[in-house]
Amino acid sequence: MSDADRTDETTFDAGESGPDEAFEPVQVFPEAEEMDLRPGADSCYKCSTCDTNCPVAEVDDEFPGPKFQGPEQWRLKQTDEDYDVDDSVMKCSNCMRCDSSCPSDVPLSQMHNTARGEYVREQQSKTSVEYWRNRLLANYRTSAWLASYVPRLANAAMNFGPARWVMEKAMGVTSEREFPSFATETFREWWASRGGAEASRERARRARIERGLVAAADGGDGGDSRDGAADGDDGTDRKIAYFHGCYANYNTPEVGKALVRVFEQFGYEVVVPEQGCSGTPMFANGMLDDARRHAETNVPSLSALVEEGYDAVCSCTSCSMALRQEYPELFDYDGVDDVASNTYEAVEYLRINEDLSGALSGVEVEYPDLSYHAPCHARNQGLHRQAVELFRDLEGVTVTDVGDSCSGISGTYGWKADRYDVSMAIGEEMFEHMEAAEGTTGLTECPTCAMQMEHGTGYEIRHPLQVLEAALVDA
Amino acid sequence: MASTPRVVVVGGGSTGVGVTRDLAMRGLDVVLVEQGNLTHGTTGRMHGLLHSGGRYAVSDQKSARECIEENRVLRDIAAHCVEMTGGLFVKRPEDTEEYFEQKLRGCEECGIPAEVLSGREAREREPHLATDVEKAIAVPDGAVDPFRLVVANAGSAMEHGARIETHAKVRDLIVEDGEVVGVDVEHGAKPGERVHGVQSGREEIRADHVVNATGAWAGRIGDMAGLDVEVRPSKGVMTIMNVRQVDTVINRCRPKGDADIVVPHETTAILGTTDEEVEDPENYPEEQWEVDQMIDTLSELVPILSEARSIRSFWGVRPLYEPPETGTADPTDITRDYFLLDHEDRDGVPGMTSIVGGKFTTYRMMGEEIADHVCAIFGIDADCRTAEVPLPGSEDFQVLRDYMDEFGLRSPIGRRSVERLGSRAEEVLGTDAPNPVVCDCEGVTRAEMRDAIDQAGSDLNASRIRTRASMGNCQGGFCCHRMANELHPQYGEPVVRDSWDDLLQERWKGQRHALWGEQLSQAMLNYALQATTQNRDSDPANRDGSIAFDAFDGGPEAGAMADGGPTEASDGD
Repeated sequence: MSDADRTDETTFDAGESGPDEAFEPVQVFPEAEEMDLRPGADSCYKCSTCDTNCPVAEVDDEFPGPKFQGPEQWRLKQTDEDYDVDDSVMKCSNCMRCDSSCPSDVPLSQMHNTARGEYVREQQSKTSVEYWRNRLLANYRTSAWLASYVPRLANAAMNFGPARWVMEKAMGVTSEREFPSFATETFREWWASRGGAEASRERARRARIERGLVAAADGGDGGDSRDGAADGDDGTDRKIAYFHGCYANYNTPEVGKALVRVFEQFGYEVVVPEQGCSGTPMFANGMLDDARRHAETNVPSLSALVEEGYDAVCSCTSCSMALRQEYPELFDYDGVDDVASNTYEAVEYLRINEDLSGALSGVEVEYPDLSYHAPCHARNQGLHRQAVELFRDLEGVTVTDVGDSCSGISGTYGWKADRYDVSMAIGEEMFEHMEAAEGTTGLTECPTCAMQMEHGTGYEIRHPLQVLEAALVDA
Repeated sequence: MASTPRVVVVGGGSTGVGVTRDLAMRGLDVVLVEQGNLTHGTTGRMHGLLHSGGRYAVSDQKSARECIEENRVLRDIAAHCVEMTGGLFVKRPEDTEEYFEQKLRGCEECGIPAEVLSGREAREREPHLATDVEKAIAVPDGAVDPFRLVVANAGSAMEHGARIETHAKVRDLIVEDGEVVGVDVEHGAKPGERVHGVQSGREEIRADHVVNATGAWAGRIGDMAGLDVEVRPSKGVMTIMNVRQVDTVINRCRPKGDADIVVPHETTAILGTTDEEVEDPENYPEEQWEVDQMIDTLSELVPILSEARSIRSFWGVRPLYEPPETGTADPTDITRDYFLLDHEDRDGVPGMTSIVGGKFTTYRMMGEEIADHVCAIFGIDADCRTAEVPLPGSEDFQVLRDYMDEFGLRSPIGRRSVERLGSRAEEVLGTDAPNPVVCDCEGVTRAEMRDAIDQAGSDLNASRIRTRASMGNCQGGFCCHRMANELHPQYGEPVVRDSWDDLLQERWKGQRHALWGEQLSQAMLNYALQATTQNRDSDPANRDGSIAFDAFDGGPEAGAMADGGPTEASDGD
């Protein structure tokens, strides 16, 4: 496993080959856009529940809503490949709320992703500012990768007033927002300097001994502890592959560190495999070729580990969403389904496999009171109540759920100058509820929701893993 | 003759409008009478196949040759009604090689372009074909919208001076001195456009000649003059799928049999059909097993049909005819050819001609033959021009590139509208007024709906066939009331209400045979919507007597409301 070294970055070059030439995906459908969506059009009975749950449609009268973007448009244009996709599909923020609101299981976001992909491929001018702006935003990982070499310079330059003015005028990137700062040490740099997977294995082994899962002599060194494993859980199957995504690596390594420490505390061996972007910002911008290129790194990398018994764990709910839902919907590689069914969000994973509430009971933590916002993509995975439920009985911290509205930023969406106002209008309800709640610190799993929360309220924003770290990991 | 001969054509299907247009273009004075809407009979109940002739290439080569000839004509004169999908005759392992060869040879003999495809090549064109399909013959089949075609013919006929009367039922033929001299019709509404609830009486329309183009109903018209027209109506079921499982017409390559064709039609696919003789063209059983069996059988060709959503089923009656004494036992063996019956020659009753048999694809040719015949009777020397002059909507019809910018519509909606309207698109859609979508499923806007109402009066079913509004997957659940709303203020409340009722009844009728799976969910939602938000289950306005408004109390006191209501008051502190 290539652990801490910086992996080769793909650039904006539109060339088709992925970073790993040896990997040949099995593509039943030559283009994702040609996947058969007939069942989706058949399942829709037009009830419009998706439209009433769409945060963009709520604030933007020009946006026709998910029902039109998905099943309706698909059915109207199915007859003829000359049919254009309506350009309003670019106003969809890909929050995917329509998916969870549909009573009839219409794969709305899949229909939107394919329509958007087709729009960008067939209709959007490849020389337009909008295309390159979206491409730049969608490939955040590439910018962040460059910036991580000179984080202090990048932080200064990216928020330099005149530079931002030019970016807005020339590229359509709003100057209203402050760019998130780049960490001076990336998560992967920290991970490598800490000893990587070897060190993690050792820490996990010691934690297992401490927890009495395995005798000190036995060691539980992972590979051949067959005799000791006779009576069940010796903890040697506790191993996860951490998919940190871009943001925890370049911007908030403290979230990644918290994950590593918490999991090791429970006796989990952590590996940090080779990985690219999950593709979430690329799907949202119709850049399916870019997303595919990254998937061609992620899927083989993770599926090899899944075969070895690792589960994939994400700290970002949009990353886990992409690996679990969008990958199998849009790509037909070997291993894509295995990865999807073995991917979890970090807190979810611990709640399934460990007695997390038990571990927290009786613990007192010193932490500011928190206003929790559930990201839409967490909602789609059924995770929107977990932080509130989990920390309800934790002494020393009060967590208030600020309601079920969308934050409005939806990744790259709120960064577009022409969508900024819509983004803020959607976020208005969340801002108001945050103001009304006791806590003046925010809590959420999603890095871009965190940006929006911070932007709208000025609060500092934390991740649930950081609360767990404070409660469970000895300083 | 001193003045222009007047001809009454009975029947507003494809044949009736075809002959009406032809005669009107030749300068005759023509009146068409139809008991229901245009396409009310068999024309509105067909699978929309534009035959290449391939289906008749073995059994009926005369019909096959006529089909390929008319196929080419219609592509030209009715471009906005036709989609050239292409067609395949596919061979399954159990279908004989011998017949496949016969079919191929037949196509060659009839001048039908035919190309043999391997199973793999066929599946490349149509990925949902069954994996055991061995090979296929590709022919130039197409899809045609019968409603649009008939409306365009009627429109053209009116431009040439014809009078078109729908909802005008022929009560009797007027026979004087052994000669048919006119028809006695009962108007369902005043002459001209239909307006619901407008009473109108009988009208005697005198004519120099009557053309009986009533298809399966030809026997009934014949009876009125004591003529024996031996039409053998044969029913067939068709089922409409919600989406297109195939984009090419799929025919089963075997001699004959039920359930052997899938026709892509607009946003849907239509499965056909069965063939069973019935006594009465208006009253025959419609049975669920016919639908089930058809879906099962066609799933052998296109397996996903068994899991796909069907939105409705309908039955049509073929106007089959065979000359007396032929005595064919099985209706599938009766010829699809058409026959012109000159009742003067045949029965010694001058003044009327019947046209029977035939099929939709050759409607124009049939019209031409009758028009020639009628002109010959009156010694008129006028050429038929129906094969050259495009129908309204198909003049200079080029696919416009950028509808959205042109008409301010969302891309697929603009495109659909233009495909339906053809060269009339600009005239209809070029409005400055707000133009919201009335029917979401089929992408029909207010401007198109209003245009249809201008043509069809208050009859929403007539506007429906012009626009396809309410013919998509919700089957009118979300748009019937919007369509009705477009009638106002041109028409008053009682008229709108009657028309809305007619439309709802018609929409529900076809869904009765699709009530399982997704369409059952749809029907339940539609019912709930129409009952709870529109009072359609029991509308007080439809009850006799007035509503006792006095029985209701005056509502909560104004003062109590201002205090914020009882709940908040009670747990205030």
